[in-house]
Amino acid sequence: MGRVLEALLSIACRWGAAVVLLAYVATIQAEDNDTLKKYRQSIEPMVEKYCVGCHNAESKKGGIVLEGDDLALLMKNQELWSKSLKMVRAELMPPRGKKRPNVEEKKQLEEWIKFSALGIDPQNIDPGRVTLHRLNRTEYRNTIRDLVGVEFNTTEEFPADDSGHGFDNISDVLTMSPLLLEKYVTAAKTIVQQAVPIQPLVPAEKRIAGRQFIVGEAKPGGSAEGPLNLSYYKAVIARHTAKPTTAGTYQLVYDISAHESYVEGQFDYNKCKVILKADGIALLTQEFVRQGGKNYRWEFDLPWQPGEHELTIELEPLTPQEKQVRSLNLRINSITLRGPLERQHWVRPANYVTWFKQGIPTEARERRIYLTKLLREFAVKAYRRPVDDATVERLVQLAEVIGSKPGQTMEAGVAQAVTVILASPRFLYREEFSVPESTEKYPLLDEHSLASRLSYFLWSSMPDAELLRLASDRQLRMNLSAQIKRLLADKRSNELVRNFSGQWLQIRAIDNANVNAFAVLSKDEVPDPQAQAKRTRFRELNRKPAESLTVAEKKELDEARASFGAGFRRFSQFELNGELRRALRLESEMHFEYLLKNNRSLLELLDCDYAFLNEKLAKQYGIEGVKGDQMRKVTLPHGSPRGGILTQGAILIVTSNPDRTSPVKRGLYLLENILGTPTPPAPPDITTLEEAAALVKGKPPTLRESLQLHRADAKCASCHNRMDPLGLAFENFNALGRWRDKELNQPIEAGGELVTGEVFKNVQELKKILVTHRRMDYYHCVTEKLFIYALGRSLEYGDQQTIDQIVARLEADQGSIQTLITGIIESPAFQRRRQQTASVIPLPASRN
Amino acid sequence: MNTLHRRHFLRGLGAMVALPLMESLARATARAGLNSAVPLATTASGAPLRTAFLYFPNGAIPQVWWPTGEGKDFHLSKTLMPLEKHRSMIQVMGGLENKPAEAGPDGGGDHARGNGTFLTGVRLKKSATDIKAGISIDQALAQHYGHLTRFPSLELTCDATPKTGGCDSGYSCVYQFNISWSSSTTPKSAESNPRRVFERLFGIGKPGERSSNLALRQQQEKSIIDFVLEDARAMHGRLDSHDRHKLDQYLEGIREIETRIQQAERFGKVKDPIVETPNGIATAYAEHVQQMFDLLTLAFQTDSTRIATLLLAHDGSNRSFDQIGISEGHHDLTHHMNRKEWIDKVADIDHWYVQQFSRFLDKLQGIQDVDGKSLLHNSMIVYGSGNADGNRHTHSNLPVLLAGVGGGALKPGRYVKRSATPLTNLYLGMAHTLGVSKLARFGDSSKPLSDI
Repeated sequence: MGRVLEALLSIACRWGAAVVLLAYVATIQAEDNDTLKKYRQSIEPMVEKYCVGCHNAESKKGGIVLEGDDLALLMKNQELWSKSLKMVRAELMPPRGKKRPNVEEKKQLEEWIKFSALGIDPQNIDPGRVTLHRLNRTEYRNTIRDLVGVEFNTTEEFPADDSGHGFDNISDVLTMSPLLLEKYVTAAKTIVQQAVPIQPLVPAEKRIAGRQFIVGEAKPGGSAEGPLNLSYYKAVIARHTAKPTTAGTYQLVYDISAHESYVEGQFDYNKCKVILKADGIALLTQEFVRQGGKNYRWEFDLPWQPGEHELTIELEPLTPQEKQVRSLNLRINSITLRGPLERQHWVRPANYVTWFKQGIPTEARERRIYLTKLLREFAVKAYRRPVDDATVERLVQLAEVIGSKPGQTMEAGVAQAVTVILASPRFLYREEFSVPESTEKYPLLDEHSLASRLSYFLWSSMPDAELLRLASDRQLRMNLSAQIKRLLADKRSNELVRNFSGQWLQIRAIDNANVNAFAVLSKDEVPDPQAQAKRTRFRELNRKPAESLTVAEKKELDEARASFGAGFRRFSQFELNGELRRALRLESEMHFEYLLKNNRSLLELLDCDYAFLNEKLAKQYGIEGVKGDQMRKVTLPHGSPRGGILTQGAILIVTSNPDRTSPVKRGLYLLENILGTPTPPAPPDITTLEEAAALVKGKPPTLRESLQLHRADAKCASCHNRMDPLGLAFENFNALGRWRDKELNQPIEAGGELVTGEVFKNVQELKKILVTHRRMDYYHCVTEKLFIYALGRSLEYGDQQTIDQIVARLEADQGSIQTLITGIIESPAFQRRRQQTASVIPLPASRN
Repeated sequence: MNTLHRRHFLRGLGAMVALPLMESLARATARAGLNSAVPLATTASGAPLRTAFLYFPNGAIPQVWWPTGEGKDFHLSKTLMPLEKHRSMIQVMGGLENKPAEAGPDGGGDHARGNGTFLTGVRLKKSATDIKAGISIDQALAQHYGHLTRFPSLELTCDATPKTGGCDSGYSCVYQFNISWSSSTTPKSAESNPRRVFERLFGIGKPGERSSNLALRQQQEKSIIDFVLEDARAMHGRLDSHDRHKLDQYLEGIREIETRIQQAERFGKVKDPIVETPNGIATAYAEHVQQMFDLLTLAFQTDSTRIATLLLAHDGSNRSFDQIGISEGHHDLTHHMNRKEWIDKVADIDHWYVQQFSRFLDKLQGIQDVDGKSLLHNSMIVYGSGNADGNRHTHSNLPVLLAGVGGGALKPGRYVKRSATPLTNLYLGMAHTLGVSKLARFGDSSKPLSDI
């Protein structure tokens, strides 16, 4: 369109607007007429034959009408045609049992929809619009790590990013708020403080992590970098020996914090005494009570001779055992040994050489050259593209002004210049450019923009030195496939695993999934009305204000609390704790990673004979012979229902309710994330599942029975016929992802029939159907998901052809995951930009 | 050290900061008096008049929420019972409705709508990416008198991790996790970490060091702003209109920092409340909620702001309440199909939220303001939900309370039953009480509610 319009507008200047407008309208009409003509010729007969039986003006089935007087209007309904394409391809329409178009007809329909109704020009595919992209939390964290080597915890420091289409890297929803900007500014300062030394010389510093203290005889296990936790309730002495080699004044900086787990309404008056000693002499004696995560920092200056100096931390409990209701901990984070403090012993601070090499010259002209080089190099990396002289000049001036202030160093000036770069929109946003000389309708991205697209897609981080160098030399596009391979082989591509599979498959949600093991597991047992009555009574009493309880009621409440405690403890071994969550997340991530790194078929994600387990997880799954904490690839026993993402604990759990499974959620999950044919949201005023279930008299119904009743309602049936069989196939897995044969003491029936007609006896057979009969649905779905993620934008109707082409390649390569990635990167959507309207519209007033 | 100190880090604060408040008050009152006949956000006695909007999720079980009786002669029901001691300070507002939250042609998504329309009173654009709501009442008020305090407004939330992935029936998560909007396209992200809220208000570091830390920080920020504005300007010239709009959000943020620095210079040195900086987010929800209420109290007491919002949990929240013996998710339970057991559980959760709210009122009641009245007396606190009956997703007869006496302007101690009235009429009525008489309409309002 752009070029046509431009041409027309330039004519307009010569011939007057009216003529042009007519010409323009005529062009559009001609296009419309062509669409309509083709429709009348070949599509309308098909639509009449297969569709209007239901989708006519009277029955309007599903609210869709495919006939009428105003065909031109019907032609313009891109949403309708795009959906139709999807429904026909997935064999959902025409429904089973009705006449269906043959292969040839289907092909004709597909082509008409794509090239006429959706207006796609296959020779010149519209790349779509990628909005100015703000780095999200993950991208910011990784970029900072790769740029200045600081691990900045964005999850803690920034508000969560909004997401669209299930991903948190969609430019259109990555907004900026004043609060967030304020946080970016603060973050820039914090990061630079950690990264850039502002003194040329400082006292030497050595950090002794808590774990480097020895308790009793043996060293505590775990990383020697971590903190050391000491319980308030146990007397201990932790020791460490420092061995300074130079005589002088040393400063010891203790970093300690006090922690506890909170129990509402219960107070713990526990105390402990802590004595810090150096060479047997007490530096500090302090009593601790509940401090709730509070941090302490103490500094002591000590004159030390070379040789061994013993540091001890003694803890003495001060509370009798029966009062120990909470878990209180003193956390020794680290002790920093700084010195000698005398100036003649000072050294270059850490990182100094990385930033300043030999140091900043003092002579003004030399210094200017030095600063210009340093700041230009940094700005190029931070802005991910060449930087203009004016910008560098401003940075140098800023550094010099700050660095020349009394009491300041030139290093501090550089630090301030680095800070402003990190707060600049050119760092925080990914601005994209076209190749300058292009005259094409959809110009290619310039190589620096391409480098950023690549690195943020595959690494969620900035381009590295090699990508930037190739872009500067204009060699990147020429070496694209080699670079894709290199980027995927790099360990940074784990970010693609974590962020893409974590969001597409909702693996991330396992970290916060809310499952009540007690409620779930008691459902797998025979129901106990007595226990339920007790629980109801407990809540009733608990609701009453404490002062209005009678003595008897108080006693009853205490007893109930104690007995629940016992019940909960019985199930606590199955509780979804941090360790298990981690194993579950890793299992699913490692599976995706394995496919990615070994270029396996995406079909293995759904169906395979291996899993990634450690001992704890294997136990959950009832699989023998896996020992230790290490997660590893395990070949599954023949016929195992595990194998593939769908029967992994993480997915089974995140698609459950806190207290039971949800076949509906599981079915919907498959439709949305695997088959790519989500159902519309439930209409208002429907009978709910449990309302339907209430009709069953005599005994509590199984979920399958409830769902059957629910489907009896025609309003519910059309969608639930699609969701329920899929979800019910997983009923042998409870809301914790554990295998069970019975629910409420009744055997579970997992077999079923898909709405498209495939029949299965169990979940193993369902998986086989997904990777054979429904394979193309899956390929389309995963392609669309990764496409959205790669570009950080919604799908547009114009993307249909690109998606189809990638799917065709994927099918030809048996589902190779790297074919998919390469296909997306090579597509026009990734390589090109839609012309900015701003550059077309303004025309000179007259051009005679 | 007192063992309770950590949870109640504000205890005994009243005496300490009352004096400095007096000074800033005199200045603010003088300034407010310059431009309008009625001083803005000020009580008749000259004290600051504070407004807060608190949101609780998923509505409330109506039959145990609504009092019996009417007017001054009413009896609190089971759910509201924790407020008995504040009976004379609250109004139970019957009959308020939020039409824009109803389905209309948009189908499902009542949680997104209930949440997103609560303070905006406009229809939301149903889209995951193309966001359009409206300015929220707190921000509209801040535009009128936000300049009177160091912070125009304060936005807080107890949702530490807003959901990613698809949100309610095709609505962007933005609608469901924000109640405060500075414009129709810009949600005002709220802060969930108590430590950060405190440091924003009073500076980082130990008591006594904070105000100088804050001053140093503002100086540094000035040089940052100078530089990045230049970068932003150049970039602006290169972008098309769509992308410019994105960058405008950045520029707006920069302007806000600038304004805050100017504001800070005008207000002079920040008075440091001599209390410990609170810790990060508490693991127990009840404690997190109370941390946020503590901060609200502190912000109001020091007159750091006069407008605040707090999202206790987003609508649709499926939190379980093990601490009161409820293991199922809140949202799941609200679809109770009239099963008594489930209804009772939801009512228990509603009750729990009211208990938390009552504790907040305790705090406000316990602090003496500059005019000798309580902070609660000099406040208008809205506590409500954007869904009425969480089971049926209704948006009429919403559970809404108004606490405080508005410095004497309000008539609390009543249960007022009204025929269907837009919720925004209440906001308009409050705005007029605050002296913002220029606000003639807001959202779907028809006229200001006068009898409050």
